[in-house]
Amino acid sequence: MKRREFLRNLGMVTGAGAVTFSIAGIPIKAFAQPFMNIQSISGKILVLIQLKGGNDGLNTIIPLDQYSIYSSKRPNIKIDENLIVKLNDLTGFHPALAQLKPLFEEGKLTVIQGVGYLNQNRSHFRSTDIWLSASDSDKYVFDGWVGRYLLKAFPDYPNVPHTHPMAIQIGSVQSGLFDSPQGGLAVAFSDPNAFYQLVSGISADNDPPPSTIAGDELKFLKEVAALSIKYGSVIKEKADKGNPQQDYSKGGTFGGQLKIIADLIAGGLETPVYLATLDGFDTHANQANTHQTLLSRLGESIKSFQADLDQLALADKVVVLTFSEFGRRVNENGSAGTDHGAALPMLLVGKNIQGGIFGSNPDLTKLDSNGDIKFIHDFRQIYATMLKDHFGMTSQQVNDVLLKDFQALPLLKSGITDVTYDIAIPNDYALMQNYPNPFNPSTKIQYSLPQPSEVNLKVYDMLGRNVSTIVNSYQSAGSYTVNFDGSNLASGTYIYSLETIAGKISKKMQLIK
Amino acid sequence: MNKSQYLQKITIWNDEAARHILSRTSFGFTKADVDFALSKTLDDFVDNYLLKEQPEPTAPNYNGIDWTTAPNNTTNQTEYNNWFRSLVYWWLNMMSNPGLSSREKMVWFWSNHFVSEYSTVLVPQLIYLQNKLFRQYAFGNIIELTKKVTIDSAMLYYLDGVRNTKNAPNENYARELLELFTIGIGNYTEEDIKQAARALTGWRINSTTLTSYFDAAGFDNGTKTFLGQTGNFGYQEIVNIIFTKQPTAEFLCRKLYKEFVYYQPNEDYVKQLAEIMRANNYNLKPVLSALYKSQYFHSADIRGAKIKSPIELLITTVRQFGLSTDNNFLNYIRTKSGELQQDIFNPPDVRGWEGQRKWMSTTTYPARNNYTDSIINGVRISSLTYKADVVAYARSFQSSENAVQLVEDVTKQLIQFPLSKARKDSLLSTLLDGAAVYDWSTYDPQSKTRLEKFFKALMRLPEFQLS
Repeated sequence: MKRREFLRNLGMVTGAGAVTFSIAGIPIKAFAQPFMNIQSISGKILVLIQLKGGNDGLNTIIPLDQYSIYSSKRPNIKIDENLIVKLNDLTGFHPALAQLKPLFEEGKLTVIQGVGYLNQNRSHFRSTDIWLSASDSDKYVFDGWVGRYLLKAFPDYPNVPHTHPMAIQIGSVQSGLFDSPQGGLAVAFSDPNAFYQLVSGISADNDPPPSTIAGDELKFLKEVAALSIKYGSVIKEKADKGNPQQDYSKGGTFGGQLKIIADLIAGGLETPVYLATLDGFDTHANQANTHQTLLSRLGESIKSFQADLDQLALADKVVVLTFSEFGRRVNENGSAGTDHGAALPMLLVGKNIQGGIFGSNPDLTKLDSNGDIKFIHDFRQIYATMLKDHFGMTSQQVNDVLLKDFQALPLLKSGITDVTYDIAIPNDYALMQNYPNPFNPSTKIQYSLPQPSEVNLKVYDMLGRNVSTIVNSYQSAGSYTVNFDGSNLASGTYIYSLETIAGKISKKMQLIK
Repeated sequence: MNKSQYLQKITIWNDEAARHILSRTSFGFTKADVDFALSKTLDDFVDNYLLKEQPEPTAPNYNGIDWTTAPNNTTNQTEYNNWFRSLVYWWLNMMSNPGLSSREKMVWFWSNHFVSEYSTVLVPQLIYLQNKLFRQYAFGNIIELTKKVTIDSAMLYYLDGVRNTKNAPNENYARELLELFTIGIGNYTEEDIKQAARALTGWRINSTTLTSYFDAAGFDNGTKTFLGQTGNFGYQEIVNIIFTKQPTAEFLCRKLYKEFVYYQPNEDYVKQLAEIMRANNYNLKPVLSALYKSQYFHSADIRGAKIKSPIELLITTVRQFGLSTDNNFLNYIRTKSGELQQDIFNPPDVRGWEGQRKWMSTTTYPARNNYTDSIINGVRISSLTYKADVVAYARSFQSSENAVQLVEDVTKQLIQFPLSKARKDSLLSTLLDGAAVYDWSTYDPQSKTRLEKFFKALMRLPEFQLS
């Protein structure tokens, strides 16, 4: 496909993804914030940490309640029960994460259990692309979810230049996370001072490129040049001004990445998204030492970072979120390592989060056909939560960024939800009889999802007309209770119908006024 | 362009066509290379020079000693790292002095296809042997090469093949063999990976001689069902079955397309090229011959559409300005290559370098400019100065005393992308630096300073990054 067609197609993808979010009946999530200019409210910062290679979630967050199954499946690489850092009776940390336990106890760390997506792809590259682009497993989306977010947050880009970079990536190769129909949107560098020295000599130009494929590449190069010229000095200025106090040295070079981010935030840089990367999680062989080292760097660095933010009174603004392309196989392989797996936990760190453990431990007796952990939240629900409850986007804007409606999760203190949601995983898809029934004017409907699914809960009259859409969203596994208000309907019999990936279930209800 | 014309041979064999072929099949070429190409017919040049088999080069050495056959002694990692550096210099040297053959470009292609990393393998002998294998099969049979790679010692280490045994299969190599090396994602199941891993069991490496061998005791002797076929397969059958499948040739041609044509594949072109690959039983030479001569490859969309890899950028300057290829300077090239995110023999992961836009970030773009500045300003390394002689370079053009024509000729030589008039005008005014055009002379005492400014400006252009 030619680049130009390719970009046009991207435009279509984004446009077509605008799912109308119906607020007929009871809204799944109230529009907590009025429509606002995201730039003006933002001030909020998301620090993403990519754990490259596929983190072994099961040795990161260990299910104490299933320790005997866990240890039997992992005779050589299991963590000794008495070394596990207990978070509660059911769940514990890998000992290398001990530094994070105080944060957990202060409610500043959430373990989000069982994150993944339908039809897990076990290729590093494809699955990384899926996580970065926020696409379905069987769809190809050629820009990043953060890139799409930034174009919403900075709608006048590239016509109006911004004083501060829209996104910063610590590193030298730009991630697909920031790709957008307007090109890559992040400034990538490893060190603010070296970056300033580097860009001091280069210059921009306005010579228009020809309309060929080769011309598209020239345009791309000019955009990269323009980004580096524009931001070299502001990044240096803010880095010079910022003065983080913590010692990041135990985090190795990864600690250095978070130190730079702390530096820039403390210096007043108004960049909303940062990406740091910790590589080396592809532990096919002799994983124990490697994994220990990596998790220790992660824990030490996050601890220092959060301490700096607290000390500088900036903790209100920032949340940190880890992600990785997949978890690893439950059974260890023959090389004291693990092969590619499926769902895994994410860590969320910050002051304004709910804290605790969100979701239940993976059930090691109910693995998928490949012997991997099943997912209970779609990863895009976490993204939706960040966009809505951290950055304050409207539901419609979130849908545009994520290409469909994903139910946000109650992870942040600012998250407002009136859906009653029980995280215990049911065995079957089910739709209960509404209660009360008959009803006037409102009633409650319960349904359950054994795995995450796109959910449509609709009400029809006896002529088959859709009179209300109660839920139209992608939801986590669990049991849900929603309200239905029939105030503006006539008395009579109605059919309510639950559509999920497993099919359709319908029941009748009686409205008597 | 009509699809039926994609692989038709070009009818005009001229300067632009020759430069385009050379720019994609070498790491950098000279004016003499272009002149030579044009002294031959297109067919003659491509088939008898570019794709010609070459004698094997002398093995690398460290301080005069050939270490490539030394028995393994992993206790001496410092010595190993010295040997490894001599291997890097050896390869850079061949890239810089290729003659007219495109062999080293193909060695590079295969090393970025069947990926290993020195930082994982850590034994230079093995990296050398793998590099030698790629050189042997540079234009050779892909099925045979795939079989050799599957039991290549560096690969057995890198993707855990040595740990893959009947009682404890390790899926690492089996997955990448399918996903990245042959048939491509979407054309196999997770079960196929598990079955292939079983068939690939039993391979070991002699820890002293470093050669791989088959150990029947570790081999899973049972029946496997792989891509729809059932039998007691070993690695040869697995590779053979993969190459009976339709998507394999397309996957490999897409990879060739990404390296030689453009990073977003034109699927119609890829399919047509794959037919040639199948018709020639996966022998590579006829495929490359057709590609390099094809109309689509030479279209205006494609000429100048490739972003130079760091090594291409660096070697281009070495070749153009005739910079030294002593180890001192090659070490500078190696260091710069790493800064520009292409640390030779250490790709970021098993997919290799993705190339094109991934080469360019807000850090690597200015770093490229700093490098090209450095060779004009002069680089001082261990009391020696390495510096492009810009006056001599300018005088190598017949038009050296005519400023307008000199800009024309130099930009044509150094830049594949069609340069706009505004660009050329701006370069001309940089060259003249306020002087009148008729006053230009390379014999003017200020000409050296002016030429240095001019070449720095020229190599800072985004167009210079394209090939």
